[in-house]
Amino acid sequence: MTAELFTAMRQSIVDGEAGAAGDLARQALATGVSPLDAIERGYVPGLTAVGEAFSAGDMFLPDMMLAARAMKAAVEILEPALKASGGQRQIAGRVVIGTIKGDIHEIGKNMVAMMLASAGFEIHDLGVDVPAERFAEKAAEVDADIVGVSALLTTTMAGQRNVVQAIVAAGLRSRVKIIVGGAPATQGWADEIGADGYSEDGVASVALARQLLGISA
Amino acid sequence: MRFEHSILAAADQERVHDESLRILAEVGLRFHGTLALPLLEAAGAQVDRETGVARIPRSLVEQALAIVPKTFTLGARNPLYDFALPSPVTRYAMDGTATFVLDTATGERRYGTRRDITEALRVFQEVDLGVMAWPPVTASDAPAHSRILHEFLTMAAATSKHGQHEVHSPEQVPYLAAALSVLAGGDDELRQRHSYSVIYCPVAPLTHDGPMLDAYLALGSLDIPVMVMPMPVTGTTGPARLFGNVCVANAESLSALVVFQLSHPGRPMIYSSATGTMDFHSGAFLGGTPEMGLMTAALTTMGRFYGLPSTAAGCTSDAHEPGPEAVIDKLLTTLPPVAAGADIVIGIGEIESDQTLVLEQILVDAEIARLCERIADGIDTSPGAELHDDIAEVGPGGNFLAQKSTRAATRSREFVRPGLMERLSHDAWRQLGRPSMYDRARERVAEILARPQVDPLPQATRDALDEILTAADRDLA
Repeated sequence: MTAELFTAMRQSIVDGEAGAAGDLARQALATGVSPLDAIERGYVPGLTAVGEAFSAGDMFLPDMMLAARAMKAAVEILEPALKASGGQRQIAGRVVIGTIKGDIHEIGKNMVAMMLASAGFEIHDLGVDVPAERFAEKAAEVDADIVGVSALLTTTMAGQRNVVQAIVAAGLRSRVKIIVGGAPATQGWADEIGADGYSEDGVASVALARQLLGISA
Repeated sequence: MRFEHSILAAADQERVHDESLRILAEVGLRFHGTLALPLLEAAGAQVDRETGVARIPRSLVEQALAIVPKTFTLGARNPLYDFALPSPVTRYAMDGTATFVLDTATGERRYGTRRDITEALRVFQEVDLGVMAWPPVTASDAPAHSRILHEFLTMAAATSKHGQHEVHSPEQVPYLAAALSVLAGGDDELRQRHSYSVIYCPVAPLTHDGPMLDAYLALGSLDIPVMVMPMPVTGTTGPARLFGNVCVANAESLSALVVFQLSHPGRPMIYSSATGTMDFHSGAFLGGTPEMGLMTAALTTMGRFYGLPSTAAGCTSDAHEPGPEAVIDKLLTTLPPVAAGADIVIGIGEIESDQTLVLEQILVDAEIARLCERIADGIDTSPGAELHDDIAEVGPGGNFLAQKSTRAATRSREFVRPGLMERLSHDAWRQLGRPSMYDRARERVAEILARPQVDPLPQATRDALDEILTAADRDLA
């Protein structure tokens, strides 16, 4: 019975069906299945399958996004019970992400956030037009491992440097990795402003985040 | 007759219009900034101050369409290059605001500078079908807070053709207004000549940037024309069907039209678009796809549907280097809007999804433009074009080489003569070292840049502009 439930959970992620994923999470709670088991033996294998199909070129970015959304729906239902039982879901790392002040473009930042979430990172999305100091505040508040800063315009890209400086000023630099992205950003730019990394798209950002935190894929 | 093709049937044009009105009235658009929402609310739009979303009724769109000019002339610093809109033929604009340039000396990609703007626009000045300049790269060597002004005025100094660019905040407007007035010879001349315009891109989906929109509205007092260029991308910032994405782009255009006309009734506007598609694996923006060509052609038709000057992004490519992939992309994204009757196709000179300027690509694109022009000219079917008398005179088995009509054909517009594509014999081509079209383009770029600049600005004007820039560098910091 539980095996069947786990199979259905896996499938709900593969299908990207948030409604089904949520229903199955409620069913798990009602039947006394451990929330941690539900996540790690039910839903996570679904994410893994989607990730493998994506890497093989059989699935595409929207498949990943829908899978991540379904995962989120399930976790939101399971999380209170998980906390109440003293359990803790394993996360790859905490990421604070946002689009820099003066810039309201967010599609690239959202794609990176969803890809990192799919890969098991806990995401704290600050949205758009975010002052440099806010990145540092949030990083301190959630004990972030990574801060990601997006900029679409060459004029706002300069603000990525300000985030690096704000993280330094807040005394967080030794424990926070800083990554930058957006159309005008390059590895050279990341090096110049003292960031730890740059990735061209959401897919590459997962590899970058794992590499920076010393996580094997 | 000319080669013309509408991607959208008349009934489909009505559907795009109706769906756009529905989006405006039921979904609405988010307006950041301080000026647009009060204007919309006072005019009868349903405004949610908390979310910044305005739902715009059909009547406001109809009023705006009734008062926006249907014809006007894009002036140029040299009146020889004035361009009347709408145009019976398609002309071309430089692509703009790329981040990078492919360095001619090293072959490596690097950030753009003011010098790159100057060099590119000096080459563009000599593109005979090019009517509208745009700073092709952002100037990484200028201060961020006044960069847009440096780019604008570097463009104005480098070319005497019509120039368009952006402005990012209301604080920059007085400096730009002063500079444009200097260039035009006074505010009245600036209003009258329309020698410079601004390009406005809503942030898809259905959002208007605040500082940028406020700045553009402020420029209305000088009657600066606005080109509205929505850029929804199928599947990311737009719906994942071409028709739906066309509707969103059109709705964004109409929303801008309403706001600009409410603010300054009768201000000249140009309909445009730069839709894209998503790379389904990486999520990246693609601007050089057949689907992009189809959507911009459809939107060109919508511009015509409204009787507006109608332009489109085109001649765009996602290739990472100059070469066959770039040429294929560019041809596929140029011919559809040309066939749809675009007044201007915007996109000369760049690759990598409008992110990298390549000087020699400007001339390769000019060649593509010339060939597309030939296709658009179609076949002359006027009386006599069948050349029956020649056919009868030559008769079966003869040839037409010594006919006067054949001699006339060598000097006619009916047969295009390429500028870069050499039609040499194989041996002659080998003897020349097997040059490619790009090799010849590079040579011509070098020739153009070695010559004195065409129509340089008078020194007094340059000095006045430099003073304005110095003040902007200081005051806006």
